[in-house]
Amino acid sequence: MTASPSFNLHEDYRPPSGRHPDAPKNPEPYVAAENLVTAVNLAIFLQRPLLLEGEAGCGKSRLARHVAHQLGLPLYEWPVRSTSRAQDGLYTYDSILRLHDVHLKQANKPGLFGAKSALPGKATTGRNPEKPMDYVNYGALGEAFRLQECPAVVLIDEIDKADIDFPNDLLTVLEEPWKFEITQADDDTPPIIAKHPPIVIITSNKEKGNLPEPFLRRCVYFYIEFPADKERLKDIIKAHYSIKKSGEAITPPTDELTDAACERFLAIRNKGDLHKKPGTSEFLDWLKAMSSFGKLSGLSGEAKLPYPELLFKIHADWDRYAAKP
Amino acid sequence: MNDYESQAILLAVFERLRKDLGLGIGELLAVYRAVAGGFGTEGPEALCEVARLLWCHAREAEEDFNAVFNEVVAQMTRHTPTTEPVKPEPPVDRPLSPPHEPPVPPVNIPPPAAPSPLMVEPAPLPVKTPMRPVQDITGPELRAYWPLSRRSMVYAWRYLRRTVKEGPRDVLNVAATVEQAARIGFFLCPVYDRRMQNKNHLVLLIDQGGSMVPFHRFTRDLEETARDGQKSQIQRVDLAYFQNVPPEHIFRDPHLMSPFPLKNLLAWIDPDTSVLVVSDAGAARGHRRNERIRATAEFLSQVKRRTTQLAWLNPMPQTRWAGTSAQFIARLVPMFQMDREGFGNAIVALRGQSQGRRG
Repeated sequence: MTASPSFNLHEDYRPPSGRHPDAPKNPEPYVAAENLVTAVNLAIFLQRPLLLEGEAGCGKSRLARHVAHQLGLPLYEWPVRSTSRAQDGLYTYDSILRLHDVHLKQANKPGLFGAKSALPGKATTGRNPEKPMDYVNYGALGEAFRLQECPAVVLIDEIDKADIDFPNDLLTVLEEPWKFEITQADDDTPPIIAKHPPIVIITSNKEKGNLPEPFLRRCVYFYIEFPADKERLKDIIKAHYSIKKSGEAITPPTDELTDAACERFLAIRNKGDLHKKPGTSEFLDWLKAMSSFGKLSGLSGEAKLPYPELLFKIHADWDRYAAKP
Repeated sequence: MNDYESQAILLAVFERLRKDLGLGIGELLAVYRAVAGGFGTEGPEALCEVARLLWCHAREAEEDFNAVFNEVVAQMTRHTPTTEPVKPEPPVDRPLSPPHEPPVPPVNIPPPAAPSPLMVEPAPLPVKTPMRPVQDITGPELRAYWPLSRRSMVYAWRYLRRTVKEGPRDVLNVAATVEQAARIGFFLCPVYDRRMQNKNHLVLLIDQGGSMVPFHRFTRDLEETARDGQKSQIQRVDLAYFQNVPPEHIFRDPHLMSPFPLKNLLAWIDPDTSVLVVSDAGAARGHRRNERIRATAEFLSQVKRRTTQLAWLNPMPQTRWAGTSAQFIARLVPMFQMDREGFGNAIVALRGQSQGRRG
């Protein structure tokens, strides 16, 4: 990857062995701009969440994987859905299973409702309904809080999809003293306190309006721009093809093809008449298609684009660029 | 750049932008902490970047932020390095009362010293109002003029709820199940509840066109946030548009193209319906027209016969109602100005909880 600027984590927080065993194994092909690296470092230093916005397909979510790999920290992803609650990120409690276990235990006991009908061998493996903590399923944030050796990277993906109160509910957890309690636990169970506050990366694409102000105030905000110049785009291509995916031999596209593709792509993008601009990921797919299926003529000038189905996803855009005879 | 200097710059920028960006002391201290930790020490640009990352939360604000920051830095460097933290310069002294030159009647003006033959034709001299120095209105404050944000609309709509248990029993009640199992001594079956349903019905009547044109952005937001059922949690929203006075014509579309009779609208209204009228009621232009008041009163009495949950949202501030039709209409219906508090109160009225009247 680029050797230039790198992410900074204070020595005290680094995993003892250099890399945490759960850290992502495969490097993420990612070219982070210098100011993005500053933003990440600032977020790490101040222990504040990093809020990323930007066009779709510009590598918002991938940054978290990249950071986790570079720093050798485990990554916990939390894809937010419209029904997500802030609580789910910490833990969910399986009351039904607990009830079920109580029932099973009673059914196995000789007595009024003898063990005759109960199925033998279906014991509550490893769980004891008398211990409430056996029924806690930790979410991404909960796991990160429980990590002892080093901080974790937590990706809260597409936070704007959730209900409007969601970010506010998160706030109380994502700051000092970095702790939460499990309400179902016994009274003597201590609250869960993060030894190392996690590195929180949040993505949003403002699909449903703005995030609440108190939440924004606490975030480090960064807008990921589409790489506007050819060199950056080429760097990204290089990064993608320099990483060998296991079992998949990809020959990088020829320089000639890369050049022509970058030029044509940027020309179309910068023309500004697209309803939905294709992002980096779409560009990479397109390039891959051209490089492995064979380039069709027409990358230059006004000729018909090869494989337009990878770039244009809206009818109006399609009509303009792809439907040309 | 030493720490002290950067702190002074940051403080000056913070003072100027605190309100617009919604920052607290915590955010100022965070940047101080970052600077102490070695961020942004390379120069003003790096410092600006660090402060921007922490203080700007929208791409649109970044430009303003950079401008203010550069301005402050320029100001600081103009002052030769002193130990004083530089205060923002006092505003350029602006005349408190603009020099009122009494408009001199044209007759008193002596003819120009050398009347050229071309100027013989007498023409009325234009009477000019004295120039008032216009305040700087390009600041970020004005651009962010937004009395009622979409977000606060959604929040307020949520209070307009009327929950009823309805439908099949399909929600597991864990507490009741455990309680039942404990009471009987064994687990019999799970206890299910009916789902809570929001049974609210809103009729939104929006004044469109004419004096309401400047407020279309807000009425559109109101309408969109109300109709987005998932967010506003209003089960049924009926929309109607009118111009100036409701009973004249009611339209189904915002362009006032497809009219429909008022009695259809009235038929939708039952005692559980909330009716919200959004109109300036003549306050925007400062009119007071008796026919408008009379027509509106007639319409309101028709609505009041069907529901008591009625409110009027006026995009003009309350101070501008006096002497206009709005002042009179406000006697007939709870009328609220369109800001966060006013809208909140309107929602309370729409729930039928308040008899409070304004105006």
